[in-house]
Amino acid sequence: MADNKAQTLKIREFPVEENPEHTYLNAEKGIWSWLFTVDHKRIGLLYLFSITLFFFVGGLLALLLRTELLTPAQSIIDADTYNQIFTLHGAIMIFLFIIPSIPAALGNFFLPMMIGAKDVAFPRLNLASWWIYIFGALFALYSIITGAVDTGWTFYTPYSTQTGTSVVSMTFAVFILGFSSILTGINFIVTLHKLRSPGLSWSRMPLFLWSLYATAIIQILATPILAITVLLLAMERILGIGIFDPTMGGDPVLYQHFFWFYSHPAVYIMIVPAFGIISELISTFSRKTIFGYWAIALSSLAIAFIGFLVWGHHMFVSGQSELSSVVFSFLTFFVGVPTGIKIFNWVATMYKGSIDLKTPMLYALSFLFLFTIGGLTGIMIGALSVNVHLHDTYYIVAHFHYVMMGGTVIALLGGLHYWWPKMTGRMYNELWGRITCGIIFVSFNMTFLPQFIMGSQGMPRRYFNYVDQFQGLHQFSTIGSYILGLGFMIMLVYLVWSLFYGPKASSNPWKARSLEWMASSPPAHHNFEYTPVILHGPYDHHQPIREFHMGVAKEADEQTTEAERETT
Amino acid sequence: MGNHSVATGKKSHLQHHFVDEDQQFESSKFGMWIFLVTEVLMFGGLFVAYIIYRSWHPDLFYMAAQELDVALGATNTVVLIGSSLTIALAIRAIQLDKIKAGINYLVATIGLAATFMIIKYFEYMDKFGKGIYPGSAYSYDGIGHDMAVNFFSIYYMMTGLHGIHVVIGIGLIGWMTIKAKKGLIHSGYYTPVENTGLFWHLVDIIWIFLFPLLYLID
Amino acid sequence: MSTHHISTLSTLLSVAGALLALTFLTVAVTWFNIPEPFNVIVAIAIAIVKAAAVAMFFMNLYWDDRFNTIVFLLSILFLVIFVGITLLDTLFRDAGLPVY
Repeated sequence: MADNKAQTLKIREFPVEENPEHTYLNAEKGIWSWLFTVDHKRIGLLYLFSITLFFFVGGLLALLLRTELLTPAQSIIDADTYNQIFTLHGAIMIFLFIIPSIPAALGNFFLPMMIGAKDVAFPRLNLASWWIYIFGALFALYSIITGAVDTGWTFYTPYSTQTGTSVVSMTFAVFILGFSSILTGINFIVTLHKLRSPGLSWSRMPLFLWSLYATAIIQILATPILAITVLLLAMERILGIGIFDPTMGGDPVLYQHFFWFYSHPAVYIMIVPAFGIISELISTFSRKTIFGYWAIALSSLAIAFIGFLVWGHHMFVSGQSELSSVVFSFLTFFVGVPTGIKIFNWVATMYKGSIDLKTPMLYALSFLFLFTIGGLTGIMIGALSVNVHLHDTYYIVAHFHYVMMGGTVIALLGGLHYWWPKMTGRMYNELWGRITCGIIFVSFNMTFLPQFIMGSQGMPRRYFNYVDQFQGLHQFSTIGSYILGLGFMIMLVYLVWSLFYGPKASSNPWKARSLEWMASSPPAHHNFEYTPVILHGPYDHHQPIREFHMGVAKEADEQTTEAERETT
Repeated sequence: MGNHSVATGKKSHLQHHFVDEDQQFESSKFGMWIFLVTEVLMFGGLFVAYIIYRSWHPDLFYMAAQELDVALGATNTVVLIGSSLTIALAIRAIQLDKIKAGINYLVATIGLAATFMIIKYFEYMDKFGKGIYPGSAYSYDGIGHDMAVNFFSIYYMMTGLHGIHVVIGIGLIGWMTIKAKKGLIHSGYYTPVENTGLFWHLVDIIWIFLFPLLYLID
Repeated sequence: MSTHHISTLSTLLSVAGALLALTFLTVAVTWFNIPEPFNVIVAIAIAIVKAAAVAMFFMNLYWDDRFNTIVFLLSILFLVIFVGITLLDTLFRDAGLPVY
């Protein structure tokens, strides 16, 4: 250990008065210092701002859809508009919100801090990834203005090669957004491999980072296939190359293979980072060492790998061979194993812990509840025989909203509240936080639970009208969605309010053990003013924090530092 | 932070968040390798389309490949291997601080890459002249198979995407030449030219597979 | 650990020579009519040897951090998964299930 040579620091929670004057927030001034910053923390906030914007846009579109569904016949929009709006809702939520959400916003901010680095490995690439994202968003906007898209976010051929809407510009938007995602992935993998502080071995990495690592692996392995898929689709429309077009001897089912080879792993890009956040929240707010550290860490990698073997369960009724349907259905069950391992380990972590029901923990518990429903129904519809009946019904819609919104979005909100004091230096209002969490939890279930019932009774997805028997459930769902929207508005108000009037935060309000809490709130421009030598694990709750120490690798001790880095 | 001043004593390129030059070099190269993984998989998508269609229509691939000129394809293979050699020599020269030789090798690489593109241009023009276009503009009736256009769609997509990469490669190598002329790369800091080399070798590797798969079907 | 490897001139030249020889070989084998599956196998085998030579000696994987090799092979592995499972559909599209 380096602590006998290098100087050590006693770690404690330092109160508000000791937070430094100069932080990353006021290190540079002016709009340009934000738009062209290479500081990972500022880029994280740029992403956070952007995804929030698109979340509200996508959410408004969803409310529009729900409003249309108040009555069985046409209420406010016609069928074509409805098709365009659900496509936009899907495309915006997937490509502009949920894929960059946790990794690019919270991950960018906290990944370097959690390993004691000053920045990600390629800061300029990081900035480029945000600009590419914005550029992709502009392309998407352009395609909306020039006629929108009505294919669904999956762009299935042959319809996507025939429809008169602007599929080409939308696919280019997706292509560009994919680049942004790849750059984030590359940055994270290299940073985790090469920039960990001395003493921060793989076994001391917070589980949030393990999940980001698994996510980054999926991003770099799957996203290129999306790029070539949309490129081929665009060429199909521009030149008519006939690879996916059945009128020219092409095969539309092949398109679905291409698309889902990306898009199924992509659902793990969306959910795996959420698992990471939940691991942090549950350990911190149970005041207990995480149960089964390696099981949780490695199950993320297992999910990343198995996720590549199951894409065909989206295609059971699309005409692929029976043999592959059986194989895909069989393999699909394996994804449940590492996911189940995580759930059990989280529950075991809470067992006999001193659970503190702060807002982030409430979100973590909501996650456990909602995600378990989403996950188990996923196993159900992964079963071939059940899927044939439930395919393209509201059951599917309810399932993936339970996973994506009940899972990822709820975890994102938990993470946002958890790290809010660290990012902004201000505490949000705890009471309003808890109330809002309750509102969101209840209204989420009001919105989507009826959709399971409707789906099981045969209500097909993507229809703007329906038979009268479903009206009661549809209206219940719509009212739930309004309350859900209200919940998010309340959150926006109290979070923005806290930026100006919230009490200042101390360095470690939650008594957490991982490295980002050892920095000031908000952190200094370079996170730490020294290179920390890590002497404690990220979940060492068995030890009081006043006994924590951290080594300081001084420049003079560079040889020691290097030697340490070699051994890790 | 730690600052191993470079052996040559030239200006340090160390960015503030790295401990030393080696860590920075290793990180850049590792990042480049991960990027190459994405390249392999992107081309891989086209290879998958190729394999599926060849397994469905082996006769189509046999008949259509007769239209491709093996001599030109083989020449291009030799040209690309040559360019891989010259860029490897360029990196070696720069590592040994023989900057002038390095620049010459880089220029030679650009020349070979341009030769590749020129040969490719004549191949394409020959095909276009016969009416062999990608997609619905296809009007050649010399191949007795009603899916002939599908082969050439795959051919144009593969070689086209590869050609785009060659052009990008020319741009990168040109940029490296300018950097070398300005004295910005030398034995103490040659990361950009190393990574450009990796990119260029990958472009070569992809052609190594494209050549037998497209031209040598018998 | 430093991976600043400087290749010797003879290594680079002999690798290039081997690549040219293999290019000639891959064209030459088409002059003999090797029966159907084997001609593809031979062509791909030669291409793999060539690609491996480029990766190992031009791209320095032979001397480099082993992890870079693993990363590169990972891309091939996932490509094989993609092809393999897709073929499971396309080759058996009309076959039905053997048990029925």
